Amino acid sequence: MGLDLQQIQAFLDNEFAVQLIATAIKFAVVFAICIQVPPIMIWVERRAPALMQRRKGPNRVGFFKLRLWGLLQSAADAVKLILKEEIVPRGANKIFFQIAPIFGVIPALLIACAIPYGNDFQLFGYNIPLSIVNVDVGFLFILAVSSLGIYGITIAGWASNNKYSLLGSLRASAQMISYEIPLGMSLIPIVLIYGTLDLNQIVIGQSNLWNWGIITSPISFMIFFVCMFAETNRAPFDLAESEAELVAGFHTEYGSAKFALIFLTEYVVMFILSCLASTVFFGGWQIPFVPHDTLMQLIGGLHIPVLPYLLDLVGWGAPFLSLSLQEMGVHSLIASLIGVAVLFIKAGFFMWMYVWVRWTLPRFRYDQLMSLGWKFMLPVGLANIFVTAIIVAILNFK
Amino acid sequence: MTQLHLFYVFAALVTFCSVMVVGSRNPVTSAVFLVFDLFLLAGIYAMMEAHFVAAIQVLVYAGAIVVLFVFVIMLLNLEQESHGKVRVSIPDIVMMGITGLSFVIIAFLVARVPSMATVGEMTPEAIAAAGGNTYVVGMVLFTKYLWPFELASILILLAMVASIVIAKKDKAAKPGRRRTVNANQ
Repeated sequence: MGLDLQQIQAFLDNEFAVQLIATAIKFAVVFAICIQVPPIMIWVERRAPALMQRRKGPNRVGFFKLRLWGLLQSAADAVKLILKEEIVPRGANKIFFQIAPIFGVIPALLIACAIPYGNDFQLFGYNIPLSIVNVDVGFLFILAVSSLGIYGITIAGWASNNKYSLLGSLRASAQMISYEIPLGMSLIPIVLIYGTLDLNQIVIGQSNLWNWGIITSPISFMIFFVCMFAETNRAPFDLAESEAELVAGFHTEYGSAKFALIFLTEYVVMFILSCLASTVFFGGWQIPFVPHDTLMQLIGGLHIPVLPYLLDLVGWGAPFLSLSLQEMGVHSLIASLIGVAVLFIKAGFFMWMYVWVRWTLPRFRYDQLMSLGWKFMLPVGLANIFVTAIIVAILNFK
Repeated sequence: MTQLHLFYVFAALVTFCSVMVVGSRNPVTSAVFLVFDLFLLAGIYAMMEAHFVAAIQVLVYAGAIVVLFVFVIMLLNLEQESHGKVRVSIPDIVMMGITGLSFVIIAFLVARVPSMATVGEMTPEAIAAAGGNTYVVGMVLFTKYLWPFELASILILLAMVASIVIAKKDKAAKPGRRRTVNANQ
């Protein structure tokens, strides 16, 4: 075979190359997951209300006798959307009309880079973090980049040259600006309590169930939870696309692949905010009552020689056959991947909450929305920061 | 020297976007290029390992202030007014000359006078050793520059209160007028 252990060893000695490959793999995986979120969520969003309203929902699309509970309906919709004709309405600003969905999707995918999906793991003697970019101001990065998402909506509405689009985009962006402030304020007590802006350090700080953000700062979680819905323009705050008044809001004029991109943005932001909520308030990748070190030891002691047998088929797995996972040096990788699964389960719960709330609560009125944001959430958020700061100062006083 | 090359790329893009901000006919285009400009500047800050400043730059300028610019431009619908012919008058030429001259002087000073191009004591390594960007900025703001910081906050608060007072309709001024429900909103 062309594989030479010496060459592999030489490659592994180059830290830059290893980190580059690791980053590329992480990028690809996160991007693939983000792309897969909308079709699955659209399926959930059709089947869940059907369940609640005692009807069947889409369950026909499939091949042969295989119907997969209508899961392929989303795939069919995606194909249909991409194959539709691209239309630019007359009188629209052509360039901005085309660019606006891209403006929306870039910040959404950028935030996905800063979420710690699992703990750092050690492989080949290198420490590889499981967030794509590991900035020490992870919190601020997420807030900063998510505030750029407004441009996509604003420009989409303006460039469409349609009064409904413009009104919808004004509503949406005014709402997002208003709720960004309480969202940021709800996270400051968490920074005060865990003493760091690094999201992974915050997750490490939530090692026990009673250390979770929701226990240490419940008011923060309530504010964050409401802002999660308002930031994504979801029901009960979906005034930006209230069908009875504004057709479809800022994306009235959009069709085909551009509409798909707008949809992608919406669901990716929902997914990222769900991940952030579980990271900050629900212990992220931590399994309750099982500290990460214990998990690593448990996995490290296991003998699962599947991989060595596979390597043995190629001809160079023989030295690994009798080793445990720890001796092979992959136990921390597997523990981190279990953490990723745990985070996704927690985030999945919040995604379900989005759907659940949408089909349960009626829509707010616009002035109610604004007064809730500015006259209730903002003062409560400020008071929460103040009280938390005093308590943290007293506890740290020596 | 990848970092230096990256700096050249960012600097060239910043210059291009800045020219487009003043040069483009459509006000919305200008505003969008302003966003790019601020974002790329944040990139340069991040390259200097000043992550905190970079994040705040994007959060405050690109994420909040220019959004309001875009709002105002969209609501005023300035596009119709932007089709006039550009005419360069003598004061314009004088201003361009002064700007160009100052640029040359600054470039000369930075290149020639050693004290203007030295590295201060807060190198990226020193900041990392002192506890990271946010910590260092926070410590300096709340100890050495506490009074300027607080005064600046009060100034901003003052501006906020003043704008609310100006925008608020005076109920007592017109006693004969019938008050509507939305008089204060």
